[in-house]
Amino acid sequence: MPFNGKSGKFNASINTVEVGCGEKAIKIGGENVLPFYTFDAPIENAPKIGVMISDLGLENEPAGVKAYYEGCTTIGEIAKKAAEMPGADFVCLKLEGADPNGEDKSIEECMKAVKEVVDAIDVPLVIAGCKNVAKDTELLTKASEVAQGKNVIILSAKEEDYKGVGAAAGLAYGQKVGAESAVDINLAKQLNVLISQLGVAPANIVMNVGTAAVGYGFEYVVSTMDRVKAAALGQNDAQLQMPIITPVADEAWNVKEAMASEEDMPEWGPQEDRGIGMEVSTAASVLASGSNAVILKHPASVATISKMIKELM
Amino acid sequence: MAKFVTIGERLSTTAPAVNKAFTTRDPEPIIQRAKQQLDAGAVYLDVNIGPAENDGPELMKWAVQLLQSEFDNVPLALDTANKAAIEAGISVYNRAKGKPIVNSADAGGRIEYIDLAAANDAIVIALCNAEGIAADNDERMTYCQTMLERGMELGMDPQDMWFDPLFLVIKGMQDKQMQVLEFIKMLSDMELNSTGGLSNNSNGMPKHIRPIMDSAMVAMAMMNGLTSAIVNPNDLRLMETIKSCDVIKNNTLYADSYLEI
Amino acid sequence: MALKGLDIFKMTPKTNCKECGSPTCMAFSMKVAQGAVDISKCPHMSEDALAALSEATAPPMKSIKVGTGEAEYTLGGETVLARHEKTFVSKTRFAVNVTADMDVDAVLAESNKVDYERIGERMHAEMVYVEYTGDAAAYAEAVKKVSGKGKTIILGCKDAEAAKAALEICKAEKPVLNGADASNYAEMVEIAKGAGVVLGVSGASLDELYDTTAAIEKLGYKDLVLDTTGATVKDTFAATVQVRRACLAKNPDRTCGYPSLVNLSKLAAGDEPMQIALASLFVLKYGSIVVMDKMTYAVALPLYGLRQNVFTDPQKPMKVEPGIYPINGGDENSLVLTTVDFALTYFVVSGELERSGVPCNLVISDAGGLSVLTAWAAGKLSSTSVSKFIQENVEPKVKCRKLVIPGKVAVLKGDIEAKLPGWEVIVAPNEAVQLVKFLKDLKANGEI
Repeated sequence: MPFNGKSGKFNASINTVEVGCGEKAIKIGGENVLPFYTFDAPIENAPKIGVMISDLGLENEPAGVKAYYEGCTTIGEIAKKAAEMPGADFVCLKLEGADPNGEDKSIEECMKAVKEVVDAIDVPLVIAGCKNVAKDTELLTKASEVAQGKNVIILSAKEEDYKGVGAAAGLAYGQKVGAESAVDINLAKQLNVLISQLGVAPANIVMNVGTAAVGYGFEYVVSTMDRVKAAALGQNDAQLQMPIITPVADEAWNVKEAMASEEDMPEWGPQEDRGIGMEVSTAASVLASGSNAVILKHPASVATISKMIKELM
Repeated sequence: MAKFVTIGERLSTTAPAVNKAFTTRDPEPIIQRAKQQLDAGAVYLDVNIGPAENDGPELMKWAVQLLQSEFDNVPLALDTANKAAIEAGISVYNRAKGKPIVNSADAGGRIEYIDLAAANDAIVIALCNAEGIAADNDERMTYCQTMLERGMELGMDPQDMWFDPLFLVIKGMQDKQMQVLEFIKMLSDMELNSTGGLSNNSNGMPKHIRPIMDSAMVAMAMMNGLTSAIVNPNDLRLMETIKSCDVIKNNTLYADSYLEI
Repeated sequence: MALKGLDIFKMTPKTNCKECGSPTCMAFSMKVAQGAVDISKCPHMSEDALAALSEATAPPMKSIKVGTGEAEYTLGGETVLARHEKTFVSKTRFAVNVTADMDVDAVLAESNKVDYERIGERMHAEMVYVEYTGDAAAYAEAVKKVSGKGKTIILGCKDAEAAKAALEICKAEKPVLNGADASNYAEMVEIAKGAGVVLGVSGASLDELYDTTAAIEKLGYKDLVLDTTGATVKDTFAATVQVRRACLAKNPDRTCGYPSLVNLSKLAAGDEPMQIALASLFVLKYGSIVVMDKMTYAVALPLYGLRQNVFTDPQKPMKVEPGIYPINGGDENSLVLTTVDFALTYFVVSGELERSGVPCNLVISDAGGLSVLTAWAAGKLSSTSVSKFIQENVEPKVKCRKLVIPGKVAVLKGDIEAKLPGWEVIVAPNEAVQLVKFLKDLKANGEI
């Protein structure tokens, strides 16, 4: 008697969201099964990988990242090279230079970077703010305008600024709205409701439900994503059927395991290997928990996660 | 746990406007009432065409097709004493959004409605009642088991049998209310689904009292495991209570705007 | 799992003969489910039905013990598919792969360098997987080298004679004999039974694995581990998930109710980042034992962190030990900062402090493993608890008399100053991410 497993296919499915335009446009979401459960039903759109670049350039990046971008001086060149990274599907431009507590670049200066990146690449683009809510509202509103016609994802609309960012990105300039909550499933749902109530169609919303590096309270991330998918698929909760995009690079490279130098922790071995380990493990884990797209930065991580996705699909 | 299933009761021949629309095959009033109920959050719509002795099959087909084409295959409960009409309705029914519900069987003269549901892979509402009102929960349970055994013998999934404890009117049978609630608990302990005409409890009460009493009743019944009810979805207080109970029971995920969705 | 009346009813003869004393078979079934009547009251239950009923009350997934002494581990025994439903009880265990043609001692020594503590938990590769490569004598030598090293041994060996010889060396350590498949299972069951060890079962496909397991159960052996490693990553994931799901389903399939083993040395040999990615996947999705090429810090730091998170009890917070944690080379003259012992808070705060580059002492007192505001509300983080801890544990060791308290309990400032004469209390920002700037500002103002 052969194995007789019951299929775990659901009657509901995750929304399909198209990002970018032309040949290189990508689709995320659309599945009616748990992550990588292709034995239950085919998954049409494999999870996608984005490469994160910063308007601050490469100065603070690990050697392997610097080496990959060798010869690139402008943000346009960096973006072009990022788009060509083997395994990458899209590029994420992080405008961290805008942070008032950091470089505090002007909006105009940031928009130049956006324009340059938009012109340099033909793969889909994600534009992320500087995490300062006051500045991000204007920054991301302008970015939505500058990238008009490119069907980009704007990361992100939060509880504090969803009205401004959501209306600009989702309504005025026809971009995709990234709704960001911090590992709080009720808020994740509420934000989707609020952004929908602005008039943004569900097919134009993606969620960033928040993450942490593995080892840093990551159980909350797993349970949040597990529960989002359980509600979306099992309870047919339309307010949670938006696909999930997870920026992994910032979290994974900002913990001790990735930041401690080999000098300080000689027994730990090469620092860059540890950073890649943290990035790869966190990415694999959020994908296994339900992310439809991840944003990474190291070429070795992108290659590995891309291979993992291919082998699982 | 699955979300509470509301069955909208407002498409009934007992309402003169609906009766007239059914008789004259006038789609407008039907569509209007259906839309009001769905906008208010009804999951299923009950289609009560009355005894319909003459044109039952043809009328039910007309109603099913009208509603399902207008409202994206809305799932329906087919409610008539004319069995042929129910079969005719099922023959044109689209199951994309849920199986049809046969409304209803009992343990007496209408037990064959279970056979009808089994033969057509439908859900059946099974009234725990035969002739007259059951004296106590032992009697209700006997009826329940009789129907359950019949359904299972015919290959039905017990989950497709929604047992109706028969809500009793408070003005007249106030002392029996807890008994009905206890019976719902018994059904729930057996992991059986349940439903019923909830508003019967407030029959005869002043209009402004009924939503309050119905809300209290649904909250207590959901606490005891009621999984569905036949209700007026345009009773805002009642629907808000159901949504709140669904949150408390962890049937739906809370969000600040949960009442608006 | 409690049986429901309806499940029992399905197995009754449904004749309503009343010989059991109940009016109907349904009524009888309900009483049995409630425990009011014994199933044996029905004289017409078939043997099969009785056997099925007794099995139905057993746990759906077996707990299997492997190894001895300190290296004894429990695998399996899970009751849920998602950690938020209850708790995952048996952690994924990691094994390092060796073969006879390697320098076994060197491989072990290298992997043994990774052995550290993280929030009260020892982190190291707990097991060694010894893969048979065709030379029985060399295999026995390799097994001798791993034996007695405090690691649970897994013998990856389908050759009966070689397995017997290996077990002679190490059976007292309760290894796993991962060697049964469709072709040899009868013989392997005898060997495992004889040595009293857990038997690993594999198959060319999920169907074959399932059939072989069922056949082994028929032989009466149920101390099993299922090697769900397939030809591809995709097959392996499918088998691992489906086996777990089937045994924890509403109607459990107990033939699937065993721990799993996933061999990444077969699926991604030599590719360390890929092994990290796949091991992460299998920590989350139902791998009981994961076999790796080797254990390095680049592998261990993410995987053990992930495992510690995922297998934590949702009801019990993770706590760090109270004490003084010097950061960035902090010494007796460095600034003192304090927060609660909730592991997540500790990690976030210590991470930000490290980023600031400012030498300091992070003081953790016992706050019941709660976050700052929760601990304060519960009375576990109070001016008394903080000042007492500082007086008893910090004053003897640290000369600096500046104490930074979390912004969320700014209200404690006055009381702490009153209870700690000579100390200046400084209120930190509300969020840890603001700490870097906060410390920089303190420095710029000449406060530290």
